[in-house]
Amino acid sequence: MCAFHHHQVGNPRRGRIKVIPLGKGEDIPVTCLNCEDPPCMNICPTGALHRPDAEGMVKVKGDTCIGCAMCVNVCPVGAVTIDPVDGVASKCDLCEGDPQCVAYCPAKVLKQTDAGQMARHRMKGFARFLQTGGEDT
Amino acid sequence: MSLFAGGYAGQILYVNLTDGSIKKKPLERDFALHYIGGRGFSSRILWDELSPGIDPLSPDNIVILAAGPLNGTPTPSASRLIVAAKSPMTGALGDASSGGYFAPELKYAGFDAIVFKGRSPEPVYLWVEDGRAELRPAKRLWGQKIHETSALLKEEIGDEDIHICAIGPGGENLVRYACVVTDEEGVNGRCGIGAVMGSKNLKAIAVRGSQDIRIADPKRFKEGIDAYRETLSGEVWTDVLRKLGTPNLVEHRQKLGIWGAKNFQRATIEGWENISGETFREKFLLKVMGCMGCMVRCRRYSAIKEGPLAPTYTKGPEYDTINALGAKPYITDPAIILRAHHLCDEYGIDEQTAGSSIAMAMELYERGILKKDQVDGVELAFGNGEALLHFIEKIPFRKGFGGLLAEGTKVMGQRLNADYYAIHVKGLEVDASDPRSLPTRALTYSVATRGSCHLRGFPYIDEFIKPEEAEAFFGTSSVSDLKALEGKGKMVAWSENWITLANLMGLCLFAWYRSRSFPMLIKRGLDLVNEIYVATTGLPMTSEELFRCGERVYNVEKRFNLREGFGRESDYPPQRFFQEEMPDGPGKGSKLKREEYDQLLDEYYEARGWDRKTGEPSQEKLRSLELQ
Repeated sequence: MCAFHHHQVGNPRRGRIKVIPLGKGEDIPVTCLNCEDPPCMNICPTGALHRPDAEGMVKVKGDTCIGCAMCVNVCPVGAVTIDPVDGVASKCDLCEGDPQCVAYCPAKVLKQTDAGQMARHRMKGFARFLQTGGEDT
Repeated sequence: MSLFAGGYAGQILYVNLTDGSIKKKPLERDFALHYIGGRGFSSRILWDELSPGIDPLSPDNIVILAAGPLNGTPTPSASRLIVAAKSPMTGALGDASSGGYFAPELKYAGFDAIVFKGRSPEPVYLWVEDGRAELRPAKRLWGQKIHETSALLKEEIGDEDIHICAIGPGGENLVRYACVVTDEEGVNGRCGIGAVMGSKNLKAIAVRGSQDIRIADPKRFKEGIDAYRETLSGEVWTDVLRKLGTPNLVEHRQKLGIWGAKNFQRATIEGWENISGETFREKFLLKVMGCMGCMVRCRRYSAIKEGPLAPTYTKGPEYDTINALGAKPYITDPAIILRAHHLCDEYGIDEQTAGSSIAMAMELYERGILKKDQVDGVELAFGNGEALLHFIEKIPFRKGFGGLLAEGTKVMGQRLNADYYAIHVKGLEVDASDPRSLPTRALTYSVATRGSCHLRGFPYIDEFIKPEEAEAFFGTSSVSDLKALEGKGKMVAWSENWITLANLMGLCLFAWYRSRSFPMLIKRGLDLVNEIYVATTGLPMTSEELFRCGERVYNVEKRFNLREGFGRESDYPPQRFFQEEMPDGPGKGSKLKREEYDQLLDEYYEARGWDRKTGEPSQEKLRSLELQ
């Protein structure tokens, strides 16, 4: 769905979220972590990777990118790739705030959340653990 | 770049294994419009390219891998691959389907289908990448099981993300029912296409593609798939499949009393709870999985973590697994069933025929037709799980009695002078339930163009169609009566044409049928799919014309089989279903009646426009389908 949303085609290798199979039934989706101090943007020699909104995602200016792949080299999680058709850097932009991978996830495992909510969710789990003294968790 | 505005990759790859030459041919617009894709492409190519009477395991046979126009698009559940050849099991048209990721990847690599001809002098595999293809030596792979083959190929190519179709030792050693396995998990099980690959010294096909599959009208396409998703998310069947997978049917079969247990000597199973969908979920399920883009997610991934058979990690089981490796040999130990299933997949043999052949041998052994010294000294009694596992290890290498079991029940019946106990149609074992209490099911399993098959038609319409709908659509309200015969031939013929469309598009049947309402079948399985097809390809198509494509393909298959000598007599169920009453369960006492079956078959031929005596399509029918 990602490649369809961004390019109107079917082609998962142009997708910006990848599911990594780890064997024995384990498949883990990986995409951009939206780093506070993004190595991909910092190393980009042309300014193609930029952050238009201080709070938002790093985006790619396709016509400025020279396809050097420095961003691919420095991304700590491998979330930046070179698009096999356009030959320029490609990364998740959260679909302008409405990520289509989340909207179309058949197993409904993908969710959009922020760090604050995530921390709160974890805290709640930990609070329950404390409440039961570690039993029944 | 494809000549089509979307959907099709636009090329067919022809590989001559004898001289190693590889050609690319453009996919013709007319061919696409008449045969759509998948089974349509494969059946028509088999009809065009094969001479009648050839030996299926000779270089004269061809093997086809075909994708459909919706494979590789984000259409839900459009993951199915068709593999096809003249079947060594039947001598008739043979094909098998699997889900997973291979068919979309083939399209991303630039091809709608691959056709293999001839025989390679040495073991080879085909490597396909972005419009290029080459044959490479496979000596290192020969003899390897499925997982090992995949691991070696991924290592050799240096990419874990490639997709693979491979045969195991079963195919190499020409086990007549060897299967083709995609990505270690998707099994193109039936009809022995793996044996045909083995006879060609073709071990595997590995694919990597990064080309776009275009969508002619993205906005209309998105509306189409959103509507399709909506029909699926409201389905009880979708939810049941996600929770229990196809093993949900175990309870259903038990309640109706339609198991073919003990080689069709019992209709119910004592201790069936041990092999139910719930049991497999509780005891063995690691994860619910899905094929590419699927929202049904019926696929299981299971593990035996303790006991003598641990550790075993495997996809599955399916209902069919439990039927073939549980019910038929009467084994109710779920770990043994799961282990046997894993071995069949790893060795690349069809578990349906493997289980059926061993169950037949068990019956012959108990009847004294087979003696202990003929079966390698094994106590080959029903319920003996060790014997099942023992012979599943022997069959792929044709060792000892495994050599005869490797032929399937039809040949076993001939060699042992025991045809009566071979429960097959056209040479392919009855893989579904026992149809003695429901003759419409018997018709469906028996007229299927690939030999006995429960996926070639959809007789279950009679379970939910309303009388007024039946009257309006089939001309008689009795189609809504489970036990009535009138109108059922017509209904089976219609359902075959309709189901064929899923096989043409590359859609999974689980995203296709089981709706609890007949109008929904038409909406989802015809109108919406036509809408998505038009939006994807930009080609002119209507629901009526699309339906005619399904009928056209079915008629091509019928003509292929007629050309090979399969007349009316080959459309009958096994003798046992006419002679012996069901021994137990709710259907106790039922058996098929010859005159009733004749009546059904007459009506079916009539509805199809085929000659009642010979089964030949009439000139008028051929003209209307542009098949002259």
